[in-house]
Amino acid sequence: MDTLFVSIAVIFAGGVVGLLLYRQFTLMKLVAIATSSVGCGIGFIFTLSKLFGQASGLDVSYNWLHLFTLAFKIDSVSLFFLIPIFLIPPLALLYSFHYLENKEKQARAGVNYFFFSMLICAMALVVISANMITFLLAWELMSLSSFFLVMYDYEVKSNRKAGYVYFIFAQGGAMMLFAAFALIYSYNGSFAFESIAAIPDSAKLLVFVLAFLGFGSKAGIFPLHIWLPKAHPAAPSHVSAIMSGVMIKMGIYGIFRIYLLLDSPSPMIGQIVLITGMITGILGVVYALAKQDIKELLAYSSVENIGIILIGLGIGMVGVSQQIQAMAFFGFAGAFMHVFNHSIFKSLLFMGAGSVLHQTKTKNIEELGGLMKRMPVTGRTFLAGSVAISGLPPFSGFIGEFLIYYGAFNGLTATKLPYILAILAIISLAVIGGLATACFTKVVGLAFLGEPRTEKAANAKESGFTMGAVMSIMAVACLVIGVLPQPFISLAFQGVADIPVLAGFNTDAFMVIIRQISCTAGLFIAIFIVVSIFRKMLYSGKEIGSGGTWGCGFTQPTVRMQYTGTSYAAEMVDFFRPFVPFKDIYSGIKKIFPGTTTWDTKTFDIADKNYQERLIGPMMTLMAKLRWIQHGNIQLYIGYIIVAIIVLLLFL
Amino acid sequence: MESILSFCFAVLIAPLLPAVIQKVKAYFAGKQGPPLLINYYTMIKLFKKGSVYSTSTSFVFKLGPVVGFTTSIMMLLFFPMAEIAPLFSFHGDVLMLFYLMGLGRFFTIIAALDTASPFEGMGAAREAFFSTLAEMTVFGILIIFFKLTGSLSFQEFFSGDHVISLMGEYGALLLLVVAGLYVVMLTENSRVPVDDPATHLELTMIHEVMILDHSGPDLALIELGAYFKLLFYSGFLARLIDPFHSANVWINSLLFYSVVAFIYITIGVVESITARYKMDLVPKFILTPFIFVFFVTILTMGVMQ
Repeated sequence: MDTLFVSIAVIFAGGVVGLLLYRQFTLMKLVAIATSSVGCGIGFIFTLSKLFGQASGLDVSYNWLHLFTLAFKIDSVSLFFLIPIFLIPPLALLYSFHYLENKEKQARAGVNYFFFSMLICAMALVVISANMITFLLAWELMSLSSFFLVMYDYEVKSNRKAGYVYFIFAQGGAMMLFAAFALIYSYNGSFAFESIAAIPDSAKLLVFVLAFLGFGSKAGIFPLHIWLPKAHPAAPSHVSAIMSGVMIKMGIYGIFRIYLLLDSPSPMIGQIVLITGMITGILGVVYALAKQDIKELLAYSSVENIGIILIGLGIGMVGVSQQIQAMAFFGFAGAFMHVFNHSIFKSLLFMGAGSVLHQTKTKNIEELGGLMKRMPVTGRTFLAGSVAISGLPPFSGFIGEFLIYYGAFNGLTATKLPYILAILAIISLAVIGGLATACFTKVVGLAFLGEPRTEKAANAKESGFTMGAVMSIMAVACLVIGVLPQPFISLAFQGVADIPVLAGFNTDAFMVIIRQISCTAGLFIAIFIVVSIFRKMLYSGKEIGSGGTWGCGFTQPTVRMQYTGTSYAAEMVDFFRPFVPFKDIYSGIKKIFPGTTTWDTKTFDIADKNYQERLIGPMMTLMAKLRWIQHGNIQLYIGYIIVAIIVLLLFL
Repeated sequence: MESILSFCFAVLIAPLLPAVIQKVKAYFAGKQGPPLLINYYTMIKLFKKGSVYSTSTSFVFKLGPVVGFTTSIMMLLFFPMAEIAPLFSFHGDVLMLFYLMGLGRFFTIIAALDTASPFEGMGAAREAFFSTLAEMTVFGILIIFFKLTGSLSFQEFFSGDHVISLMGEYGALLLLVVAGLYVVMLTENSRVPVDDPATHLELTMIHEVMILDHSGPDLALIELGAYFKLLFYSGFLARLIDPFHSANVWINSLLFYSVVAFIYITIGVVESITARYKMDLVPKFILTPFIFVFFVTILTMGVMQ
């Protein structure tokens, strides 16, 4: 346990160094990155050794301010979630070495490193907390440090707005958590996590729903996801990588932890999680498809993947309430596996998007194109990440989805509602998979392939060395996990090992299947290589010509004729029309000799639109009427405080 | 040994069968049609040629045909043609194989987008959309088969105690599944009424327009991959409807491939008597069998092997 605290201290020290040394820009970056990475390394080794070794003596508590107890405890679930926390940040930090290279913003970079390391520490503390006080402290620390990271480019107005939206959702979510914990406290008067299971069954569902909303706003469940597509484009890319790859999983951790602690017999909980997962997954990918801003698209894709993870958790929970052990085991293990895989490929994709943004100064797909030739490393690694996130073998995304499918198929032995839910889960996963393929072929095909649509894309160059290196490592990891999944799956299996209802489940039969998957992936690659060699032989000594693309008889093609992202997605988005309202702005043709005409299509997020129209609009009108309370007279404010205190003391 | 022979035979006969479709269509049109071996001649011709590559394309364009071909080969390696055990099989292979087909599609699509042609982009978007819809039906069918046999592998579907067959137990349920699978076959293999490979306007094509720029051996690989894929789907259907069973491997294979040929003939008939649907009707057409299949999954609630 002490090792873990040492590692957290070292990570934090790295951040403080960033703050102190900011005048020596390069030195500061080197020292901050190195120190924090060493800290993460220590933590990572500790986590792995505990996950596979003896997990004893992992329970400590400290007295704080003579009032509260700060308690920490580690079980297999916390250990599993510690893996991405210690694994991804060092890579993101390394990436930031070439990403943050504007020397004029050196002080800001220092602050960025400080909050970055604070975020890592806070996330580590969240997963090892063992009572409500500790948990909420760590949770708030995490929300606040990530808020400051999002506000990196605060002089841009839209970024400030994005930061505020994130802040509202973070704090609104925290409020739900306070409500949930307060409800628990009102029943048993204890802050300890162990005592949560003792509250009456009737209250458990309400506690869970409150906590689900609170954690869900962090994870990005529909309709609490709207901060993601705003905050991610605003944040620097290594921050988006860590927030999307690791931080939103803390929401998943919270949902799972509160589920375990409540130990509720109600089948409703699993059903809520599963249905939310399906809606989140499908709508997330549909919105992703409709977006033309790469980072916004990736943010929606994170929403989709949170949906997949929730489907896994939901399958597991339904399995528990139906007492189908295989369904429960593979549902949970699949969700864990997907948490791990997603942390890698989503970070990779955000870093790729960051690399594009860094070089071309745009993240709009309609202004890119042809980057595969100009940025070969970014292009190839982004391609690998895209295949992985679409869940296609032989890359890593498939493994997690396979486990969830396997769990869901095992759930088909149930009857009535759980049976229907299992069917719907399988169909949803298939639809999500298909649409994710469409979504990522769009990004790869339009941003990286074809002809550059603007000067900016045409003049792009490959990014700095550390960025390429980090992305290559992650791309290789995606392939390795897909081809040799056994060790990584046993990681997920170890992660669910401490869950009581899964005790004694035998995975030997399944490990055979995993070996077969691994062999099949190998077979696929072998055939692929043979076919490639065969193709090379067919072409040897032959004339290879080159010319323009066949324009179907049109002889003067321009790059603007290429298919656009909007039209690529139009048919699919239209299919989901009630959920994706869109508006065409068309100037029309007016005179006999028409002048310039414009056509613009805007798609809206139904959640965002309804918040704007139904919630924020009325609230603003109401608040405008109460504006007289805020008059700026300090004496009267003091008066308010006194009245408030008197009311609280005398009447409550 | 049998498995290897069966696989080799499937690979060899795959280009022959589509010629049957052409013959049937020619018959309906009152023409003589191309010779039955036409596809072999085309393959040889294409393999002998070189290629012209668009200056817009990158390595992805060349990767597309290879990945697509490899995934089609994988399907044949795992599918038990004519009651002969496939070369490879494991519990759960159907999931992996349908996802591998998705991989083939992924690379076909990005290879099309690599050419910077507006027509190929249009075809790519339709391919991505329609195959997603077809996938829903496919997974519905897998759910039904899992309920009926308790397994997730092609080999296990058609062997053991609970063989899936129209003639077997719960055969009535399979009627709708067969209809669903037939539509999936038409969709995934770009046949009329979803797509018309013989149309004259690039704007109205789906699959064919995506491979406009491929030539020579690359095009041959794509075409071969398409033949394998069609053979896989019709083999799948044939295993469902095949009423004959014989202890002798040779007779069995002969009967099986006659059923397969019969399915190809029906495709030819469908192509002769229907026109391609308007593009906005196609999604509705593809979704219809999903309703059939979903209905059957509800009916199988009580069944569990």
